[in-house]
Amino acid sequence: MNGKDHALVVESTERLLDVLRDRLDLKGVKEGCGTGDCGTCTVIMDGRLVNSCLVLAVQARDKKITTIEGVGTREKLHPVQKALMKYGAAQCGFCTPAMVLAGKNLVDHNPSPSKEEIKEAISGVLCRCTGYYKIIDAIHDAAKEISEVRS
Amino acid sequence: MTETAAVQKLREAQRFTLVGKRIQRLDALDKVLGLPLYTSDIVPKDALRVKVVRSSVPHALIKRVNTQAAREMPGVLAVLTAEDIPGINEAYALLPDRPLLASKKVRCHGEAIAVVAAGDSETAEEAADRISVEYERLPIVTSPVEAMKPDSLLVHDSGNVAKYLRVRKGDVKEGFRQADVIIENTYKTQFQDPAPLEPEVGMAWVEKDGSVTCVGSMQTPFYVQTGVAKVLGLSPDKVRVIQATTGGAFGPKSDEMPVDTCAISAMVAQKTGKPAILAYTRDESMIAHTKRHPFVITLKTGAKNDGRLTASEALVVSDTGAYASLGPLVIIRACFHATGPYVIPHVKTDAYCMYTNNTMAGSFRGFGSPQVHFAAESQMDELAKKLDMDPLDLRLKNILRPGMLTATSQLVDEACSLEECTKRATETSGWRKKRLEFSRDRGPFRRGIGIALMYHGNSLGPEGSDYAYVHMLIKPDAKIVVRTALTEYGTGAISGLAQVAAETLGLPIHLFELDRPDTASCQETGPTVASRVMVIGGRAAQIAAQKLKEKLLNVASDSLHCEPSKLTIRDENVYHIDDPKRAIPFKKIVEECYKKHISLTETGYYIAPKCEFESENSQGTTYLQYTYGAVVAEVQVDTELGVVKPVKITAAYDAGRAINPLSVEGQIEGGTIQGLGYGLTEQLVHLGGMVVNPTLGDYYIPTSLDIPEIQTIIVEYPGAIGPFGAKAMGEPPVDLPAAALANAVAQTIGSRVFDLPITAEKVLFAMKRKR
Amino acid sequence: MDLSGLSELRYVKREDGEIKIGALTTIGDLERQVDNSAWGRFLNDVITKFGSPNIRSLATIGGNICAASSSEDLIPVFLALDAKVKTLRKSGTREMPLQEFLVAKRKTALHADEILVEVSFPEPSARAACSFQKLGMRNILIIALVSVAVFLDTDDSRSNITQARIALNRLKGKIPQRVKSVEKGLLDKRLDEHAIKSAVERLGEELTLTSDFRASSEYRCEAVKVLLRRALVDCQQNILKK
Repeated sequence: MNGKDHALVVESTERLLDVLRDRLDLKGVKEGCGTGDCGTCTVIMDGRLVNSCLVLAVQARDKKITTIEGVGTREKLHPVQKALMKYGAAQCGFCTPAMVLAGKNLVDHNPSPSKEEIKEAISGVLCRCTGYYKIIDAIHDAAKEISEVRS
Repeated sequence: MTETAAVQKLREAQRFTLVGKRIQRLDALDKVLGLPLYTSDIVPKDALRVKVVRSSVPHALIKRVNTQAAREMPGVLAVLTAEDIPGINEAYALLPDRPLLASKKVRCHGEAIAVVAAGDSETAEEAADRISVEYERLPIVTSPVEAMKPDSLLVHDSGNVAKYLRVRKGDVKEGFRQADVIIENTYKTQFQDPAPLEPEVGMAWVEKDGSVTCVGSMQTPFYVQTGVAKVLGLSPDKVRVIQATTGGAFGPKSDEMPVDTCAISAMVAQKTGKPAILAYTRDESMIAHTKRHPFVITLKTGAKNDGRLTASEALVVSDTGAYASLGPLVIIRACFHATGPYVIPHVKTDAYCMYTNNTMAGSFRGFGSPQVHFAAESQMDELAKKLDMDPLDLRLKNILRPGMLTATSQLVDEACSLEECTKRATETSGWRKKRLEFSRDRGPFRRGIGIALMYHGNSLGPEGSDYAYVHMLIKPDAKIVVRTALTEYGTGAISGLAQVAAETLGLPIHLFELDRPDTASCQETGPTVASRVMVIGGRAAQIAAQKLKEKLLNVASDSLHCEPSKLTIRDENVYHIDDPKRAIPFKKIVEECYKKHISLTETGYYIAPKCEFESENSQGTTYLQYTYGAVVAEVQVDTELGVVKPVKITAAYDAGRAINPLSVEGQIEGGTIQGLGYGLTEQLVHLGGMVVNPTLGDYYIPTSLDIPEIQTIIVEYPGAIGPFGAKAMGEPPVDLPAAALANAVAQTIGSRVFDLPITAEKVLFAMKRKR
Repeated sequence: MDLSGLSELRYVKREDGEIKIGALTTIGDLERQVDNSAWGRFLNDVITKFGSPNIRSLATIGGNICAASSSEDLIPVFLALDAKVKTLRKSGTREMPLQEFLVAKRKTALHADEILVEVSFPEPSARAACSFQKLGMRNILIIALVSVAVFLDTDDSRSNITQARIALNRLKGKIPQRVKSVEKGLLDKRLDEHAIKSAVERLGEELTLTSDFRASSEYRCEAVKVLLRRALVDCQQNILKK
């Protein structure tokens, strides 16, 4: 869990979402629908985006999970976070943690994604406020910045 | 652009330090780190979870509510029905037609009947399942047109008309006599669900002194205060309401829902002595909260052969569902804008807001404007077809220009930019060239281009007193706190207020902080709706900032030994305007003020002039200023399947003065996609009054893979009342996309779909009809 | 009961001329199988319109099949591949054709103590082609209005159809099924415009599709004919390319 091991006893019916929010106090993971349709509960599990409302806590046994709390700090933002700020890509903020994770997971796997690939990567997260444009531009910019730093 | 215009623009840009700059919002950092606290993020560990039992039928008498089994369940700490309401069982936004908890009758699917509270959600849900309601079912009326019939069943004893109003200008009979062509069509629109990503939620607890504190997802804390106090039988000063970070709103969080969630939680808190939280599930939210009114609009339009409009007759009927909510105000805006932004000498509009047994319709971004513009703009294209004119030329012949009169006989002022918006949108999109090019498409995939224009009366207009209070205080560390009961829920409007204040004071934005809307520390300021935060709140912010500035300059004038009028503030220093070396740091002045016990707290209050118009025929000044816009939409239609692919939207809007272009673009882009969903894919389906698709899986809001290319054009014709000339930009972008897409599709297939959403099925059958 | 820990049920292997897929293989796992083979292209057609990236990480073959409804994309696909399923209980394994396993809407042949462990189908020949067409209201996170899965195999000359399997969903009151009459009409025919046109016509003749709030039966029938034609043309183009 964000680089730290946790040992928990969970109910068989407990969702990963509940464990994250209620047991581990990771409030950045949101619940927008509870049925896997909106993506606000997105976390990265073993390198893939998953809807934590659809994952039973027991299914996360031995898995590596990243939530928004594990991405960047006030002093050192992840390039995706910096770019989202610069582009004004966060409005109500409810989908923002999921979008950050989707962007980060994408650039971790694909250092120079096209705009189409970015749209694909975030397609599991709904946004009702922004129309997605600034989110896409921000992730595109962040990927470029990361590539430049690397080279 | 001419040299003079370019120089003018430069001079304008130099006029402002912050206005017009793309500034990051004050809450942006927190948001990208996932730090903001939404209501469900700050629930005390011992809080009870509340579950509401809702009607499973659209219209029935309640014979009995059986709560015994729930009461007996271990872990259940409260079971409440209407009998348990300590104060008055009422929770309505405008007309006194709605109870908080139904007791004798339910009038729609999803009405709240009983409430259960337990230590955890599962127990509360199970207990709720054990409550059974015995109904005696009643017949239903689900069409607003049916509800108008004299023999229609009544949803309320007072009759099915929640509101009627009309516009009469000139003599429409004469207007049609003068017409060379007359066309008549009926347009229909659907229930659109606002679908904010955070469902409604409210939490409450009882303080030691017996007062109640509510925290929730909401747009208007003082409405919640009044509503909760009424239900609890307390005086409002015994109810404190705080807005938590709100994950999207768009309207429903200003109407009945926040009162419901907070009042119900508060009742449970009073009964049990523990904090209580009511968090809607998504399907509960979609069934219960207010949504966009479906409209049935019949338009009869007359014009001369050269395209000049002579007459418009409109019957505008809205379906407000079982309870009126703000339907009576939505119908007013719809009525006034029903003709579209055109000069028409003879106008007759009759508008009815009707009760039915569908679920409640109320506030949703656009507030009647998207519906009437879909109809009016479709009608203009139909007229163009009849006259064999280019739809753009027909519009240019008739659009409102300075000096002309609107349908309500309001004189249009110099801030009318409709012609410029239209020209910029059509030139940028390549309207004429594409119209020709697309008409030559052959094969199954064909392209089309459509246009729609709008005007949007700003702020409350005829809806009520339009005022705002913004408080500002400078702390000892020289940080400036902006505090108001106007709320942020994604628009960036409150950051915009800080930007206006910063501009007025001449201080950089990083010195500003936003405080949380709290009825205990803010003056009641009217609702955060109608895109009024910048226009009205912005003026109040300016006034507060100006008062502070005067105080600061007075104190500085002592230290600098000169008249305050010779001083200005810039770059965190107070300067003498003739001799910049005579300066004092702003921080020092703040210290001085504190030393001299000069209060650095000011309140700005602004009230807009009243709109003067004659209400019988709705003639006069209905809004103090208007936002104008033009949208051109390009589509590609798969003519074998009817599927419409939106390819590009070119949108030109007059923001008056774009205080923060980044925020304005954000509103335009977001509103465009909401409008896109409204036009092509979104429909909250009611069958026999029951909502059948209350899930985000079966209610299709656009995803990132559904968006077209977008080109945003910001035009600036400063308005009469907003700060620095700002105009409302929150709602207008939702008004036109559906209309422009409808026209683009009609051009492509040579046949029209008259009702929204424009699904593939409707397109295919419209094409078949044509053959 | 949560089976997700049974990693031995997550596999894709080629064995004895068959492709065998473990029931707990996720759609995300299958993304790595996408290539230019007939099976690989079929997968690509399905995956690009399956759920969303988030859903694909979790959705399993077994989950999709056992849901036994028209909302499950893989069912028409596996029917067109002539797949069979293997189940396991304490007393042993069973194998049966997929169509037999799907008893009725939302009902499979599974006993209460039985789990689905594998789906397998004959590996398509190098001359075969598949196409999956899905119609929905959005470009992702789609609930299908109607879908068609087509599998065609030809002789060495690549012009005569030796095998044709066509499966549809949204059949009124039924689980997804193959349309055998249309398949028969394609056998031993030349894969040309005429054959495609007759197949589409034959489909139109005997179809009753679901009518619901999403779409009418009338529209679905019109749409499915278009989808079938596009799938057949797609297959035709793929076969000719090889």
